[in-house]
Amino acid sequence: MAAEPIIRFEAISKRYPNGTEALKGVSFSIEAGTIHAICGENGAGKSTLMKILFGLERATGGTIRIDGQPVDISSPRAAASFGISMVHQHFSLLPSLTVAENILLGQEPRRGLLVDRKAARERVAALAARYNLEADPDARVAGLSVAAQQKVEILKALSRDVRVLILDEPTAVLTPPETDELFRRLHGLRRAGITILFISHKLGEVRALADRVTTLRAGLLSGDAAMGDISDAEIATLVMGTTKTVPPLREPHGFGAERLRVDNVVLRSLAGADRLDGVSLSIRAGEILGIAGVDGSGQRGLVSVLTGEVLPHDGDFHLDGRSARGCSTAALRKGGMAHLPADRFHQGSARTLSVVDNAIAGAHRSSRFSRGAFLRVREMETEARRLISDFSIRCPGPRAPLSALSGGNAQKVIAAREFATAPTFLIADQPTRGIDIAAAAFLQGRILDMARQGTAVLLISADLDELLALSDRVAVLYAGRITAVLDNGPHLTPERLGPFMLGLEDAA
Amino acid sequence: MIRRTLAPFALTVLVLIVAVAAVLIPVALATPDPIGMIDTFLFGPFRTFRHTGNIVEMATPAMLCGLAVALMFRAGMFNLGVEGAFFLGALATAAIVILVPLPGWAMAPVALAGGMIVGSSACVVPGVLRNRFEVSELVSSLMLNFAVMFIGLYVVNSVLRDPSAGAMVSYRIPADARLPRIVEGTRIHLGTIFAFLACIAGSIYLFRTKAGYESRIVGANPGFAAHLGLPIRSVMLRAQVLGGTIAALAGGIELLGLYQRFSWQGLPGNGWTGVVVAILARDRPLLLIPSALFLSYLQVGGDLVARNHDVPNEVVGLIQALILILVTASAITRSPRLLALLSGKRKEGHA
Repeated sequence: MAAEPIIRFEAISKRYPNGTEALKGVSFSIEAGTIHAICGENGAGKSTLMKILFGLERATGGTIRIDGQPVDISSPRAAASFGISMVHQHFSLLPSLTVAENILLGQEPRRGLLVDRKAARERVAALAARYNLEADPDARVAGLSVAAQQKVEILKALSRDVRVLILDEPTAVLTPPETDELFRRLHGLRRAGITILFISHKLGEVRALADRVTTLRAGLLSGDAAMGDISDAEIATLVMGTTKTVPPLREPHGFGAERLRVDNVVLRSLAGADRLDGVSLSIRAGEILGIAGVDGSGQRGLVSVLTGEVLPHDGDFHLDGRSARGCSTAALRKGGMAHLPADRFHQGSARTLSVVDNAIAGAHRSSRFSRGAFLRVREMETEARRLISDFSIRCPGPRAPLSALSGGNAQKVIAAREFATAPTFLIADQPTRGIDIAAAAFLQGRILDMARQGTAVLLISADLDELLALSDRVAVLYAGRITAVLDNGPHLTPERLGPFMLGLEDAA
Repeated sequence: MIRRTLAPFALTVLVLIVAVAAVLIPVALATPDPIGMIDTFLFGPFRTFRHTGNIVEMATPAMLCGLAVALMFRAGMFNLGVEGAFFLGALATAAIVILVPLPGWAMAPVALAGGMIVGSSACVVPGVLRNRFEVSELVSSLMLNFAVMFIGLYVVNSVLRDPSAGAMVSYRIPADARLPRIVEGTRIHLGTIFAFLACIAGSIYLFRTKAGYESRIVGANPGFAAHLGLPIRSVMLRAQVLGGTIAALAGGIELLGLYQRFSWQGLPGNGWTGVVVAILARDRPLLLIPSALFLSYLQVGGDLVARNHDVPNEVVGLIQALILILVTASAITRSPRLLALLSGKRKEGHA
């Protein structure tokens, strides 16, 4: 292997036209044939750096060297010509096309004017064999699981003579067994000579996968070390700074009366993955019930029913002893339900509206924020300022549009709004997915506080560490059914939940 | 901070200058007196008091129609029934003052109220169709405009037509019904003051009332509105009722403010101007005022050029078109609402 690093960032800086400095002179190298992890909070600059490397954004200062040569990466196409490819968190596949069509889109083998399907199939099969990523070339992408789609996405990236593969939080959508599988594949790719840049929030994964880790904080390089030379605690400090965030831990506390009861709820109407096949649950005041399960096991269906978005075909649910079946979202919210939605931009907020508008929405009809038909605008702004400081939300001001905030801060605005209603029942759906460690720890602490004050919490999370840290009990959803309800404790581990999540065991 | 708030404003001004120059300069070069033509276009409207008054007269319906459009666009409703509502509002107002025997003082208020009710249907019908049957309000309102026009012309011809007049126009509007002129030497009338106040009220409605807040939420992201449990359908319908009512009232005011008879032979185009005004003002009610005044200024300039130089006043249409393209080009990149419409995805809470 050449002594020259494959990629060298030299004093890369990025200043946006609005004055935000996303990167302030970051320099480090990536050795060829290694798996290199990049860690940092949201807003630390790692996404910006990757976008610069992938040609989606231009640096305002500094140089990128590839194999020692300074290069100008002006577009993703240019990045591809240097052998750099990226697998985004959100896949860019066409669901109605087959795996082969997706992978070779834009570079189809031709025979005359027609696409040579046979050659395409063979090329995909050869590609899959070469990197040991098996995929059925003729399967429609729409019918594939998320993990299989990710594999297709990786194959697509590899189909164009790739030397450097950027993976942006690849495990966010995967279950633990799928993650292990992905890691084995990535190790295989490294053996095949591919350099992998791995962006992650999860230190356990960085430890399991990476050869070297670079940490960014507030646009500056805060650390760069071989994995063997650094401990997890040290990485955490480099990522988050010296402010110590105590990892949230479940404390034993008493429970009150039953707040939510779900009786045998059946839902057939939504797309196959979201059906519910007789789900029953119970959550007491002060209790956090975690829902574990592979993505698409019925979590969305359950949330849609409990928020009044859809009417279940059968079964009922009770809030504080009163039947809530058929209640509108408005009625449920009035009855003490609050909801931190998984999709924070399509459901949880309006990006074009201001922080105030997002923070107060829903409570605006109360006498506190309105008089007659009119809003008490000053009162709203005062409350928004209070929430901004209470949740330490970093934003230019209460009147700034929500789109000016980072993902973690936007999620804090949503949480601040939902928590401020002092709910008796809270649905926290993927409350910390994709947000930085500090914000995640903060929100987890707040969820625990809510439970301590007597709120019944339904916590849905793909992050098993989070579920096990916060939940009093864990229920496992598999194919629309609850396959187990387990008390949390030291004995409860991801390994124990795994068989239930994959439908190998059924305790119900 | 100040720079940041002024930047979009400066950008808009720049876009306007570019649009005017890009049309005016080539057209002027084709005339025998390019300097004179540009001079007439740009400064002519301010040389006589009467022409300056024309700007304000024209801006009056433009402000009101712009307000109607802005309130509907803000709620995410791309209802283009303003044109039909304006026409029908004016016609119904004319019909009431001509046909209904009323005491002089009651004529204008009663007729305007009647015009509002009848005229608003051009927006309300598409709104109801959207509400009940998910019919695209964009398509239905666009088509209904022409249905409204032909029904209206039939009514003019068969009921209101003054046989002693040479053309297909209505009977005279009684002098008592006319809106009083308020500036000597111009035709600026009471409706102008009303239009200014309406824009201010529109701003208060959008940013200071519960209903306006809810319509902004629904327009910005229906999924968010559903999450909050807002009554999305009624918010959408309310915006369209409000928009239709304002546009119809604008038609009535225009008629009683400036006309002797109902004499339109087709859609007058004020509703379309309202769409341009609203887009230029980025759906901000207070910005409708300068936006309407500016577009009217261009129109007056264009009319003067048409009269004094050998240039048809269609140049103004060209400038407007260019402004629209430039302004919406940046609005498209900003507005998720427009993006959603253009990409055919209309996210709305599941019922």
